[in-house]
Amino acid sequence: MKIKSKSSHLLALTSAALSMPAFSAAQPVETEISVRTSLYKEENVPADNIIFGDDVRYDIDIHQFSLLTPVGEKWSLGFNAARESMSGASPWGTVADADGAATLIMSGATISESRKEFSLSTQRYFNKSSLGIEVSRSKENDYEADAIVLSTEWDSDNKLSTLTLGMSYSKDKITPTDAILFGRVLEKEKTSQSYSLGWTQILDKTSVLQSGIRVTKHSGYLTDPYKLRDARPDERLEWSVNFRYRKFIESTNAALHTNYRYYEDSYKVRSHTVETAWYQNIAGNFQLAPNLRYYSQRKASFYLPIDDYTLPLTTNQSSDYRLSTFGAFTVGLKAIYNQPTWAVSFSVENYKSRGKYSLTNAETEHPALLSFSLASIGFDFRF
Amino acid sequence: MIWLRLVGTSKGYFVKTNSPILVIGMLLLAGCQNIQPWERGILAKPEMQLEVSKLGGQLRQQVYFANEASTGGSGVAGAGCGCN
Repeated sequence: MKIKSKSSHLLALTSAALSMPAFSAAQPVETEISVRTSLYKEENVPADNIIFGDDVRYDIDIHQFSLLTPVGEKWSLGFNAARESMSGASPWGTVADADGAATLIMSGATISESRKEFSLSTQRYFNKSSLGIEVSRSKENDYEADAIVLSTEWDSDNKLSTLTLGMSYSKDKITPTDAILFGRVLEKEKTSQSYSLGWTQILDKTSVLQSGIRVTKHSGYLTDPYKLRDARPDERLEWSVNFRYRKFIESTNAALHTNYRYYEDSYKVRSHTVETAWYQNIAGNFQLAPNLRYYSQRKASFYLPIDDYTLPLTTNQSSDYRLSTFGAFTVGLKAIYNQPTWAVSFSVENYKSRGKYSLTNAETEHPALLSFSLASIGFDFRF
Repeated sequence: MIWLRLVGTSKGYFVKTNSPILVIGMLLLAGCQNIQPWERGILAKPEMQLEVSKLGGQLRQQVYFANEASTGGSGVAGAGCGCN
Protein backbone atom coordinates (compact mmCIF):
# COMPACT_ATOMS: atom_id res chain seq x y z
CA MET A 1 0.00 0.00 0.00
CA LYS A 2 1.32 3.42 -0.92
CA ILE A 3 1.94 5.65 2.07
CA LYS A 4 0.91 9.26 1.57
CA SER A 5 3.38 11.99 2.38
CA LYS A 6 2.66 13.90 5.58
CA SER A 7 2.06 17.19 3.75
CA SER A 8 -0.47 15.76 1.26
CA HIS A 9 -2.20 13.95 4.10
CA LEU A 10 -2.45 17.17 6.10
CA LEU A 11 -3.62 19.08 3.04
CA ALA A 12 -6.34 16.51 2.43
CA LEU A 13 -7.47 16.66 6.04
CA THR A 14 -7.39 20.45 6.16
CA SER A 15 -9.32 20.95 2.94
CA ALA A 16 -11.83 18.33 4.02
CA ALA A 17 -12.16 19.97 7.41
CA LEU A 18 -12.68 23.41 5.95
CA SER A 19 -15.58 22.13 3.88
CA MET A 20 -17.37 20.56 6.87
CA PRO A 21 -20.80 20.95 5.32
CA ALA A 22 -22.77 19.18 7.99
CA PHE A 23 -21.40 20.96 11.04
CA SER A 24 -21.18 24.59 9.93
CA ALA A 25 -22.72 27.20 7.69
CA ALA A 26 -20.05 26.74 5.00
CA GLN A 27 -20.57 26.87 1.24
CA PRO A 28 -20.08 23.46 -0.47
CA VAL A 29 -16.69 23.35 -2.23
CA GLU A 30 -17.74 20.99 -5.01
CA THR A 31 -20.79 19.90 -6.99
CA GLU A 32 -22.49 16.79 -5.65
CA ILE A 33 -24.89 14.63 -7.65
CA SER A 34 -26.64 11.62 -6.12
CA VAL A 35 -29.00 9.06 -7.65
CA ARG A 36 -30.72 6.26 -5.78
CA THR A 37 -33.10 3.46 -6.67
CA SER A 38 -35.00 1.55 -3.99
CA LEU A 39 -37.50 -1.25 -3.72
CA TYR A 40 -39.92 -1.23 -0.79
CA LYS A 41 -41.99 -4.36 -0.20
CA GLU A 42 -44.56 -4.99 2.53
CA GLU A 43 -45.31 -8.52 3.71
CA ASN A 44 -48.78 -9.84 2.89
CA VAL A 45 -51.41 -9.81 5.63
CA PRO A 46 -52.08 -13.34 6.99
CA ALA A 47 -55.28 -14.58 5.31
CA ASP A 48 -56.75 -15.42 8.74
CA ASN A 49 -56.72 -11.71 9.61
CA ILE A 50 -58.95 -10.69 6.66
CA ILE A 51 -62.71 -10.95 6.29
CA PHE A 52 -62.90 -9.05 2.98
CA GLY A 53 -60.45 -7.78 0.35
CA ASP A 54 -56.96 -8.62 -0.80
CA ASP A 55 -54.00 -9.71 1.32
CA VAL A 56 -51.28 -8.27 -0.98
CA ARG A 57 -49.92 -5.06 0.52
CA TYR A 58 -47.83 -2.29 -1.00
CA ASP A 59 -44.83 -2.66 -3.30
CA ILE A 60 -43.16 0.65 -4.16
CA ASP A 61 -40.37 1.45 -6.63
CA ILE A 62 -38.57 4.67 -5.69
CA HIS A 63 -36.17 6.70 -7.84
CA GLN A 64 -34.41 9.75 -6.36
CA PHE A 65 -32.09 12.42 -7.72
CA SER A 66 -30.21 15.17 -5.91
CA LEU A 67 -27.95 18.00 -7.07
CA LEU A 68 -26.09 20.50 -4.89
CA THR A 69 -23.66 22.95 -6.44
CA PRO A 70 -21.79 26.09 -5.35
CA VAL A 71 -22.65 29.23 -7.31
CA GLY A 72 -20.08 32.03 -7.20
CA GLU A 73 -18.39 32.53 -3.85
CA LYS A 74 -21.40 33.02 -1.61
CA TRP A 75 -24.29 30.94 -2.96
CA SER A 76 -25.33 27.36 -3.54
CA LEU A 77 -28.18 25.83 -5.51
CA GLY A 78 -29.95 22.55 -4.85
CA PHE A 79 -32.44 20.45 -6.81
CA ASN A 80 -34.17 17.25 -5.70
CA ALA A 81 -36.56 15.00 -7.58
CA ALA A 82 -38.26 11.73 -6.67
CA ARG A 83 -40.69 9.40 -8.35
CA GLU A 84 -42.54 6.52 -6.72
CA SER A 85 -44.70 3.84 -8.39
CA MET A 86 -46.84 1.84 -6.00
CA SER A 87 -49.46 -0.88 -6.04
CA GLY A 88 -51.18 -3.04 -3.44
CA ALA A 89 -54.03 -3.20 -0.97
CA SER A 90 -54.50 -1.20 2.22
CA PRO A 91 -56.78 -1.59 5.27
CA TRP A 92 -60.21 0.05 5.00
CA GLY A 93 -61.39 -0.81 8.50
CA THR A 94 -61.94 -3.48 11.15
CA VAL A 95 -64.92 -5.52 12.33
CA ALA A 96 -65.29 -8.11 15.08
CA ASP A 97 -65.04 -11.76 14.09
CA ALA A 98 -67.07 -14.59 15.72
CA ASP A 99 -64.75 -14.48 18.76
CA GLY A 100 -64.98 -10.69 19.09
CA ALA A 101 -61.41 -10.15 17.84
CA ALA A 102 -60.61 -7.48 15.24
CA THR A 103 -60.49 -8.66 11.63
CA LEU A 104 -59.65 -6.61 8.56
CA ILE A 105 -61.62 -5.19 5.68
CA MET A 106 -59.00 -4.57 2.98
CA SER A 107 -59.20 -2.75 -0.33
CA GLY A 108 -58.73 -4.67 -3.58
CA ALA A 109 -55.15 -5.06 -4.81
CA THR A 110 -55.83 -3.03 -7.91
CA ILE A 111 -54.73 0.28 -6.42
CA SER A 112 -51.91 1.50 -8.63
CA GLU A 113 -50.61 5.02 -8.45
CA SER A 114 -47.52 7.18 -8.57
CA ARG A 115 -46.07 10.18 -6.76
CA LYS A 116 -43.69 12.82 -8.06
CA GLU A 117 -41.82 15.31 -5.90
CA PHE A 118 -39.59 18.22 -6.85
CA SER A 119 -37.76 20.73 -4.71
CA LEU A 120 -35.54 23.70 -5.49
CA SER A 121 -33.36 25.38 -2.89
CA THR A 122 -30.78 28.12 -2.63
CA GLN A 123 -28.52 29.20 0.20
CA ARG A 124 -26.59 32.44 0.77
CA TYR A 125 -23.41 32.19 2.86
CA PHE A 126 -22.05 34.96 5.04
CA ASN A 127 -18.92 35.11 7.17
CA LYS A 128 -20.33 33.04 10.05
CA SER A 129 -23.86 32.26 8.97
CA SER A 130 -26.09 31.20 6.11
CA LEU A 131 -29.66 31.78 5.01
CA GLY A 132 -31.63 29.28 2.90
CA ILE A 133 -34.97 28.90 1.17
CA GLU A 134 -36.51 25.80 -0.38
CA VAL A 135 -39.75 25.29 -2.25
CA SER A 136 -41.17 21.84 -2.96
CA ARG A 137 -44.15 20.23 -4.64
CA SER A 138 -45.46 16.69 -4.29
CA LYS A 139 -48.17 15.36 -6.61
CA GLU A 140 -50.21 12.14 -6.64
CA ASN A 141 -53.42 11.47 -8.53
CA ASP A 142 -55.40 12.15 -5.33
CA TYR A 143 -53.02 14.32 -3.29
CA GLU A 144 -51.06 17.54 -3.85
CA ALA A 145 -48.74 19.28 -1.41
CA ASP A 146 -46.78 22.53 -1.72
CA ALA A 147 -44.26 23.58 0.88
CA ILE A 148 -41.80 26.37 1.58
CA VAL A 149 -38.91 26.05 4.03
CA LEU A 150 -36.78 28.87 5.45
CA SER A 151 -33.63 28.06 7.39
CA THR A 152 -30.64 29.79 8.89
CA GLU A 153 -27.40 28.61 10.48
CA TRP A 154 -25.08 30.56 12.80
CA ASP A 155 -21.55 29.45 13.62
CA SER A 156 -19.89 30.46 16.86
CA ASP A 157 -16.85 29.61 18.96
CA ASN A 158 -14.49 29.11 15.99
CA LYS A 159 -17.09 26.93 14.22
CA LEU A 160 -17.25 24.49 17.12
CA SER A 161 -20.93 25.28 17.59
CA THR A 162 -23.69 25.82 15.05
CA LEU A 163 -27.19 27.04 15.78
CA THR A 164 -29.83 26.07 13.20
CA LEU A 165 -33.30 27.56 12.94
CA GLY A 166 -35.93 26.41 10.49
CA MET A 167 -39.55 27.05 9.69
CA SER A 168 -41.82 25.58 7.07
CA TYR A 169 -45.35 25.98 5.77
CA SER A 170 -47.17 23.34 3.74
CA LYS A 171 -50.57 23.34 2.07
CA ASP A 172 -52.04 19.96 1.07
CA LYS A 173 -55.12 19.15 -0.99
CA ILE A 174 -56.76 15.73 -1.10
CA THR A 175 -59.25 14.66 -3.79
CA PRO A 176 -60.08 10.98 -3.05
CA THR A 177 -60.60 8.64 -5.98
CA ASP A 178 -64.05 7.05 -6.48
CA ALA A 179 -65.43 9.66 -4.06
CA ILE A 180 -69.04 9.52 -5.28
CA LEU A 181 -69.06 5.72 -5.64
CA PHE A 182 -67.95 5.18 -2.03
CA GLY A 183 -69.46 8.32 -0.43
CA ARG A 184 -66.06 9.88 0.31
CA VAL A 185 -65.38 13.60 0.62
CA LEU A 186 -64.82 15.25 -2.76
CA GLU A 187 -62.02 17.67 -1.86
CA LYS A 188 -60.42 18.72 1.42
CA GLU A 189 -57.39 20.73 2.52
CA LYS A 190 -54.97 20.87 5.38
CA THR A 191 -52.09 23.16 6.31
CA SER A 192 -48.98 22.48 8.39
CA GLN A 193 -46.57 24.84 10.10
CA SER A 194 -43.30 23.53 11.52
CA TYR A 195 -40.56 25.20 13.56
CA SER A 196 -37.22 23.68 14.48
CA LEU A 197 -34.24 24.68 16.59
CA GLY A 198 -30.98 22.73 16.51
CA TRP A 199 -27.61 22.99 18.21
CA THR A 200 -24.59 21.14 16.81
CA GLN A 201 -21.56 20.93 19.07
CA ILE A 202 -18.13 19.54 18.23
CA LEU A 203 -17.15 17.88 21.49
CA ASP A 204 -13.57 16.90 20.63
CA LYS A 205 -11.48 15.78 17.64
CA THR A 206 -13.52 12.59 17.25
CA SER A 207 -17.07 13.33 18.40
CA VAL A 208 -19.99 15.63 17.68
CA LEU A 209 -23.46 15.96 19.17
CA GLN A 210 -26.55 17.55 17.67
CA SER A 211 -29.65 18.24 19.74
CA GLY A 212 -32.85 19.70 18.44
CA ILE A 213 -36.50 20.37 19.08
CA ARG A 214 -39.33 20.62 16.57
CA VAL A 215 -42.91 21.79 16.91
CA THR A 216 -45.47 21.19 14.16
CA LYS A 217 -49.12 22.15 13.93
CA HIS A 218 -51.49 20.56 11.38
CA SER A 219 -54.89 22.15 10.76
CA GLY A 220 -57.78 21.16 8.52
CA TYR A 221 -58.88 17.76 7.25
CA LEU A 222 -56.72 15.18 9.05
CA THR A 223 -59.08 12.22 8.64
CA ASP A 224 -58.25 9.30 6.33
CA PRO A 225 -60.97 9.48 3.62
CA TYR A 226 -60.32 5.90 2.48
CA LYS A 227 -61.25 4.35 5.83
CA LEU A 228 -64.84 3.19 6.25
CA ARG A 229 -65.20 4.84 9.65
CA ASP A 230 -62.57 7.44 10.53
CA ALA A 231 -62.94 10.83 12.20
CA ARG A 232 -59.97 12.71 13.63
CA PRO A 233 -59.61 16.11 15.31
CA ASP A 234 -59.08 18.95 12.84
CA GLU A 235 -55.96 20.09 14.67
CA ARG A 236 -52.85 18.18 15.65
CA LEU A 237 -49.98 19.68 17.60
CA GLU A 238 -46.76 17.66 17.60
CA TRP A 239 -43.45 18.21 19.31
CA SER A 240 -40.26 16.20 19.39
CA VAL A 241 -36.78 16.42 20.86
CA ASN A 242 -33.89 14.55 19.29
CA PHE A 243 -30.20 13.88 19.80
CA ARG A 244 -27.67 12.64 17.25
CA TYR A 245 -24.21 11.61 18.41
CA ARG A 246 -21.24 10.63 16.23
CA LYS A 247 -18.03 9.16 17.62
CA PHE A 248 -14.99 7.96 15.67
CA ILE A 249 -13.11 5.12 17.33
CA GLU A 250 -9.55 5.30 16.03
CA SER A 251 -8.45 1.96 17.49
CA THR A 252 -10.97 0.10 15.30
CA ASN A 253 -11.14 2.67 12.45
CA ALA A 254 -14.93 2.88 12.76
CA ALA A 255 -17.63 5.46 13.43
CA LEU A 256 -20.46 4.93 15.90
CA HIS A 257 -23.81 6.64 15.21
CA THR A 258 -26.43 6.93 17.93
CA ASN A 259 -29.77 8.76 17.59
CA TYR A 260 -32.61 9.20 20.05
CA ARG A 261 -35.99 10.92 19.59
CA TYR A 262 -38.85 11.51 21.97
CA TYR A 263 -42.18 12.49 20.37
CA GLU A 264 -45.63 13.40 21.63
CA ASP A 265 -48.69 15.06 20.16
CA SER A 266 -52.19 16.30 20.95
CA TYR A 267 -53.61 12.89 19.88
CA LYS A 268 -51.85 11.63 23.07
CA VAL A 269 -49.44 9.54 21.01
CA ARG A 270 -46.07 9.18 22.78
CA SER A 271 -43.07 7.50 21.23
CA HIS A 272 -39.39 6.69 21.73
CA THR A 273 -36.99 5.98 18.87
CA VAL A 274 -33.42 4.71 19.29
CA GLU A 275 -31.12 4.11 16.35
CA THR A 276 -27.54 3.00 16.17
CA ALA A 277 -25.14 2.23 13.33
CA TRP A 278 -21.53 1.14 13.14
CA TYR A 279 -19.55 2.32 10.06
CA GLN A 280 -16.58 -0.02 9.88
CA ASN A 281 -13.77 0.92 7.48
CA ILE A 282 -12.28 -2.06 5.69
CA ALA A 283 -9.17 -2.09 3.53
CA GLY A 284 -9.54 -0.88 -0.04
CA ASN A 285 -12.00 1.99 0.60
CA PHE A 286 -14.78 -0.40 1.59
CA GLN A 287 -17.14 0.25 4.47
CA LEU A 288 -19.67 -2.07 6.09
CA ALA A 289 -22.35 -0.50 8.25
CA PRO A 290 -24.82 -2.61 10.23
CA ASN A 291 -27.65 -0.64 11.82
CA LEU A 292 -30.41 -1.28 14.36
CA ARG A 293 -33.52 0.79 15.14
CA TYR A 294 -36.09 0.37 17.88
CA TYR A 295 -39.39 2.26 17.96
CA SER A 296 -42.18 2.19 20.55
CA GLN A 297 -45.42 4.16 20.52
CA ARG A 298 -48.52 4.51 22.68
CA LYS A 299 -51.92 4.66 20.97
CA ALA A 300 -53.88 7.81 20.15
CA SER A 301 -56.65 8.72 22.60
CA PHE A 302 -59.41 8.06 20.05
CA TYR A 303 -57.97 4.82 18.64
CA LEU A 304 -60.44 1.92 18.60
CA PRO A 305 -59.36 -1.64 17.69
CA ILE A 306 -62.79 -2.25 16.07
CA ASP A 307 -64.75 0.44 14.20
CA ASP A 308 -67.80 1.51 16.20
CA TYR A 309 -70.73 2.27 13.86
CA THR A 310 -72.98 3.24 16.78
CA LEU A 311 -70.96 6.39 17.45
CA PRO A 312 -72.02 9.62 15.73
CA LEU A 313 -69.95 10.56 12.66
CA THR A 314 -68.74 13.63 14.53
CA THR A 315 -67.19 11.59 17.35
CA ASN A 316 -63.48 11.03 16.88
CA GLN A 317 -62.47 7.43 16.23
CA SER A 318 -59.97 5.55 14.10
CA SER A 319 -58.90 1.92 13.76
CA ASP A 320 -55.78 2.92 11.80
CA TYR A 321 -52.98 0.53 12.84
CA ARG A 322 -50.58 3.48 12.77
CA LEU A 323 -52.43 5.00 15.72
CA SER A 324 -52.39 1.77 17.79
CA THR A 325 -49.93 0.76 20.50
CA PHE A 326 -47.00 -1.10 18.99
CA GLY A 327 -43.25 -1.39 18.80
CA ALA A 328 -40.95 -2.13 15.88
CA PHE A 329 -37.41 -3.31 15.17
CA THR A 330 -35.40 -2.54 12.05
CA VAL A 331 -32.22 -4.45 11.24
CA GLY A 332 -30.12 -3.31 8.30
CA LEU A 333 -26.77 -3.60 6.57
CA LYS A 334 -25.10 -1.17 4.21
CA ALA A 335 -21.99 -1.67 2.05
CA ILE A 336 -20.18 1.40 0.69
CA TYR A 337 -17.29 1.72 -1.75
CA ASN A 338 -15.69 5.18 -1.66
CA GLN A 339 -13.44 6.83 -4.23
CA PRO A 340 -12.29 10.49 -4.16
CA THR A 341 -14.84 11.58 -6.78
CA TRP A 342 -17.54 8.92 -6.53
CA ALA A 343 -19.10 6.34 -4.24
CA VAL A 344 -21.54 3.48 -4.57
CA SER A 345 -23.64 1.97 -1.80
CA PHE A 346 -26.00 -1.00 -1.34
CA SER A 347 -28.31 -1.29 1.61
CA VAL A 348 -31.00 -3.67 2.85
CA GLU A 349 -33.31 -3.23 5.82
CA ASN A 350 -35.99 -5.35 7.44
CA TYR A 351 -38.73 -3.85 9.62
CA LYS A 352 -41.06 -5.83 11.87
CA SER A 353 -43.77 -4.33 14.10
CA ARG A 354 -45.72 -6.11 16.85
CA GLY A 355 -47.99 -5.04 19.69
CA LYS A 356 -45.83 -6.87 22.22
CA TYR A 357 -42.70 -4.95 21.14
CA SER A 358 -44.14 -1.76 22.63
CA LEU A 359 -42.96 -0.38 25.96
CA THR A 360 -46.67 0.17 26.73
CA ASN A 361 -49.08 -2.75 27.16
CA ALA A 362 -50.83 -3.12 23.80
CA GLU A 363 -53.88 -5.03 25.20
CA THR A 364 -54.84 -6.20 21.69
CA GLU A 365 -52.57 -6.25 18.65
CA HIS A 366 -53.84 -4.64 15.46
CA PRO A 367 -54.15 -7.30 12.72
CA ALA A 368 -52.65 -4.97 10.08
CA LEU A 369 -49.33 -4.26 11.83
CA LEU A 370 -46.80 -4.62 9.10
CA SER A 371 -43.38 -5.90 8.21
CA PHE A 372 -41.46 -4.57 5.24
CA SER A 373 -38.11 -4.80 3.51
CA LEU A 374 -36.27 -1.95 1.81
CA ALA A 375 -33.36 -2.44 -0.59
CA SER A 376 -31.44 0.42 -2.22
CA ILE A 377 -28.54 1.13 -4.53
CA GLY A 378 -27.08 4.63 -4.68
CA PHE A 379 -24.35 6.48 -6.57
CA ASP A 380 -22.72 9.76 -5.50
CA PHE A 381 -20.52 11.91 -7.73
CA ARG A 382 -18.40 14.90 -6.69
CA PHE A 383 -16.52 17.25 -9.03
CA MET B 1 -41.30 28.05 31.20
CA ILE B 2 -37.53 27.44 31.30
CA TRP B 3 -35.63 29.82 33.59
CA LEU B 4 -32.04 30.54 34.52
CA ARG B 5 -31.25 32.66 37.61
CA LEU B 6 -28.21 33.97 39.43
CA VAL B 7 -28.75 33.34 43.15
CA GLY B 8 -26.59 35.01 45.83
CA THR B 9 -25.92 33.09 49.07
CA SER B 10 -23.49 33.44 51.97
CA LYS B 11 -21.17 30.98 50.14
CA GLY B 12 -21.18 32.97 46.92
CA TYR B 13 -23.23 33.17 43.73
CA PHE B 14 -24.85 30.16 42.03
CA VAL B 15 -26.72 29.68 38.77
CA LYS B 16 -30.06 27.91 39.20
CA THR B 17 -32.33 26.52 36.49
CA ASN B 18 -35.44 24.34 36.28
CA SER B 19 -34.38 22.66 33.00
CA PRO B 20 -32.28 19.45 33.00
CA ILE B 21 -31.72 19.88 29.25
CA LEU B 22 -30.17 23.31 29.87
CA VAL B 23 -27.90 21.82 32.55
CA ILE B 24 -26.81 19.01 30.19
CA GLY B 25 -26.19 21.56 27.45
CA MET B 26 -24.09 23.77 29.70
CA LEU B 27 -22.04 20.80 30.92
CA LEU B 28 -21.40 19.74 27.31
CA LEU B 29 -20.28 23.22 26.38
CA ALA B 30 -18.04 23.41 29.46
CA GLY B 31 -16.47 20.07 28.55
CA CYS B 32 -15.70 21.01 24.95
CA GLN B 33 -12.13 21.31 23.77
CA ASN B 34 -10.90 24.09 21.54
CA ILE B 35 -10.34 22.20 18.25
CA GLN B 36 -8.48 24.08 15.54
CA PRO B 37 -9.74 23.74 11.93
CA TRP B 38 -6.72 21.63 10.91
CA GLU B 39 -7.52 19.19 13.73
CA ARG B 40 -10.96 18.34 12.32
CA GLY B 41 -9.96 15.83 9.68
CA ILE B 42 -11.68 12.92 11.41
CA LEU B 43 -14.86 14.95 11.83
CA ALA B 44 -14.86 15.64 8.08
CA LYS B 45 -14.91 11.93 7.15
CA PRO B 46 -18.09 10.90 5.27
CA GLU B 47 -19.00 8.34 7.94
CA MET B 48 -18.88 11.04 10.64
CA GLN B 49 -21.59 13.21 9.08
CA LEU B 50 -24.96 13.50 10.79
CA GLU B 51 -26.58 12.15 7.60
CA VAL B 52 -24.19 9.91 5.63
CA SER B 53 -26.58 9.69 2.67
CA LYS B 54 -28.96 12.59 2.11
CA LEU B 55 -31.25 10.64 -0.22
CA GLY B 56 -31.15 7.55 1.99
CA GLY B 57 -32.05 9.65 5.03
CA GLN B 58 -34.96 11.30 3.20
CA LEU B 59 -36.33 7.94 2.10
CA ARG B 60 -36.09 6.34 5.53
CA GLN B 61 -37.79 9.35 7.12
CA GLN B 62 -40.65 9.08 4.63
CA VAL B 63 -41.02 5.31 5.04
CA TYR B 64 -41.28 5.62 8.83
CA PHE B 65 -43.62 8.62 8.54
CA ALA B 66 -45.92 6.50 6.36
CA ASN B 67 -46.04 3.60 8.83
CA GLU B 68 -45.80 5.17 12.28
CA ALA B 69 -47.59 8.01 14.07
CA SER B 70 -44.44 10.00 14.85
CA THR B 71 -42.50 12.53 12.81
CA GLY B 72 -39.53 14.79 13.39
CA GLY B 73 -35.90 14.24 14.12
CA SER B 74 -33.97 16.33 11.64
CA GLY B 75 -35.08 19.82 10.71
CA VAL B 76 -38.53 21.05 9.81
CA ALA B 77 -41.18 19.19 7.85
CA GLY B 78 -41.18 19.50 4.05
CA ALA B 79 -43.97 18.74 1.60
CA GLY B 80 -46.15 15.88 2.80
CA CYS B 81 -47.60 12.94 0.92
CA GLY B 82 -50.91 11.15 0.99
CA CYS B 83 -49.28 8.18 2.71
CA ASN B 84 -50.31 9.13 6.25
